[in-house]
Amino acid sequence: MTNYIIRRILLLFPTLFGITLLTFFLIRLAPGNAALLKGAESGRAMTAEQRDQIIKLYGLDKPPLTAYFDWVGKVAHGDFGDSFVDSRPVSEKIGERIGLTMSIAGSALVLSYLIGIPLGVIAAIKRGQTVDRVISFVVFVLYSIPSFAAALLLILFVAGGDYLNLLPMYGANSINASEMGPLPWLGDRMLHLVLPVLCLTYASLSYISRYTRVSMLEALSQDFIRTARAKGLPERLVILRHALRNALIPVITVFALELPVLISGAVILEEIFSLPGMGQLMFQSLEARDQPVIMGVTTLAAIVTLLGYLTADILYVIVDPRISYE
Amino acid sequence: MSAPDLNSESYAERIWLRFWSDRFARNGLRTVIVLFIIAALAPLLANSHAIVRVADGRVSFPVFLSLEPIEWRFLLYVPLAGLVYGFRRQLLSRGWRSVWMVAGFVVLVEIFLGFSHPINDPTNDRDRPASFKLLPLIPYSPIETTPDAFSAPTWRHPCGTDSTGRDIAARMLHGARTSLSIGFVAQSIALSIGTALGGLAGYYRSWIDIVVCRFIEIMDCFPPLLLILVAISLFESQNNMFYIMAVIGLTSWTGVARLVRAEFLRLSAQPFTLAARAIGASDLRIIVRHLLPNSLGPILVAGTFGVASAILLESSLSFLGFGMQAPTPSWGDILSEARMYIDFAWWLAFFPGLAILITIMSYNFVGEGLRDAVDPRLRLK
Repeated sequence: MTNYIIRRILLLFPTLFGITLLTFFLIRLAPGNAALLKGAESGRAMTAEQRDQIIKLYGLDKPPLTAYFDWVGKVAHGDFGDSFVDSRPVSEKIGERIGLTMSIAGSALVLSYLIGIPLGVIAAIKRGQTVDRVISFVVFVLYSIPSFAAALLLILFVAGGDYLNLLPMYGANSINASEMGPLPWLGDRMLHLVLPVLCLTYASLSYISRYTRVSMLEALSQDFIRTARAKGLPERLVILRHALRNALIPVITVFALELPVLISGAVILEEIFSLPGMGQLMFQSLEARDQPVIMGVTTLAAIVTLLGYLTADILYVIVDPRISYE
Repeated sequence: MSAPDLNSESYAERIWLRFWSDRFARNGLRTVIVLFIIAALAPLLANSHAIVRVADGRVSFPVFLSLEPIEWRFLLYVPLAGLVYGFRRQLLSRGWRSVWMVAGFVVLVEIFLGFSHPINDPTNDRDRPASFKLLPLIPYSPIETTPDAFSAPTWRHPCGTDSTGRDIAARMLHGARTSLSIGFVAQSIALSIGTALGGLAGYYRSWIDIVVCRFIEIMDCFPPLLLILVAISLFESQNNMFYIMAVIGLTSWTGVARLVRAEFLRLSAQPFTLAARAIGASDLRIIVRHLLPNSLGPILVAGTFGVASAILLESSLSFLGFGMQAPTPSWGDILSEARMYIDFAWWLAFFPGLAILITIMSYNFVGEGLRDAVDPRLRLK
């Protein structure tokens, strides 16, 4: 197993290389930069300082390969250049926002597992019955609702529109948050995150419960389940101890697939709810065409996803001792 | 559909029968077809110009004078697709002659469009006197502003109006065109790339397989929306429709590629492939005549789900303001306006949200039904 894990970690490097290569040549190919090199006006207003910074950061005056390795070297040290908007290092800007995004995405992930797995298991046990049909249909509808439309309607009806006013409309904290003690502050923060987390959760919840249902049905059709029933084991134990434990193995590793989806969702939701996270930073930089920040966030998101895949692969070997990768 | 002889039905017929017996899949497909018809007829359903107008003893058809080429294309090609489907048996029996007939029709349409000049006539026929006029169902154009701003849904404006008094129902009907065509074309691009790369990797294996698999893994690491936003913002497009289609297509082919690769790996170990190779069939022939037709089912399934996610991506882009150019109606664009008036204008968020939900759900139902039909083992499990 150790061998496999080491090999799996070594395999990261070609992919990491590919990620940086793709990002880098996306920048180089961008027509604005080609124009820079020729010294032509690129249409958008850019100060001489910014022009110099772009040329220096991405090595636009150097041959492509040299420039690429220079850039990768900087990125490896966490240096993504300085933002055009406020001249602060990109890594610093990301650093102060990544916590919020992680807490939103993390809670959404945990919640969707906590709700999705029981739903899927119930649907599988009651397969074909009304309970299964209702769960499957509701989950299917949830899966198809665009999160931004749901977010808008939720804000309108429960957060301060002309209707109910139960939850805060936007922001990560109330205005007077700095005067609160730690516990009220936490409560205030959680109240603010209810809607964004809810909107991010329901889609991945439905995915996980559908996946659990299929996996559980597969486990229930295995021979050892029939054996367990034949030897007179109570049905509750058959399901919990035998079927569920086997069915959960593929479900646990699905979280890696959910990561890019959650990050995509966070970009939209943070923008809607005005949450100062990575998604909002990304969106603001896109609007300001703040290239260093855009590239920094994208590269970082890709690396986070890559690490998610790695974790999933390693978890898979750990939870399922039957698989041997020697 | 008449019950076919169970012994002589083809593979495609069996899949179709299984598909049609699934209630959700059947209604999903019906909804998708209705949506396409609505998209095609949008200019006739929502327009400030009358369909027929009789005034001063002269009969005119004002709607048709104002149609843009893309509106003509929808109006002519969607019925053509219906005709081809309706007469598929007759067409198939004629072989190449029918291909020339269809191609001839397309050429005629494009020549006609080359000569057509849409007249941008801001007058509306609602208030213009006439001895007889037949107005469209919703007598407003999608970009026409009226003094009646922020009207909640009424009989006059069934889905309400926005900040400049544009009729939301009209914008939604026309916006259907954007969503459906972007979903369809973007996914076609993704299918072509995915099938080509996945097929090459699965058939030739060795280093091609390694390279393609790495490439897929790299692409999968980027959250789809981020990559598309970067591509659109860095390459400063004029937000034109084809650019958005291409970007969505170029970033969402990995699922199909994985699938086709797996299918090709599986199929090329089958006896019929070995037999084909043994009698000296070329690689191209094996791929085109044996492997591709046999993996068509899974490709179609992935394509259907892909259309749903492409439509979702497009509406997210329009919602964030990175989609189609401003006056062009699209569902995401209406939603992004809803954001500014979120405290009261529920109709701005509700109707386009519902439209996206119905579209995506229909496509997903079709995809599920197709998957069960292609691989019945999955359903029995």
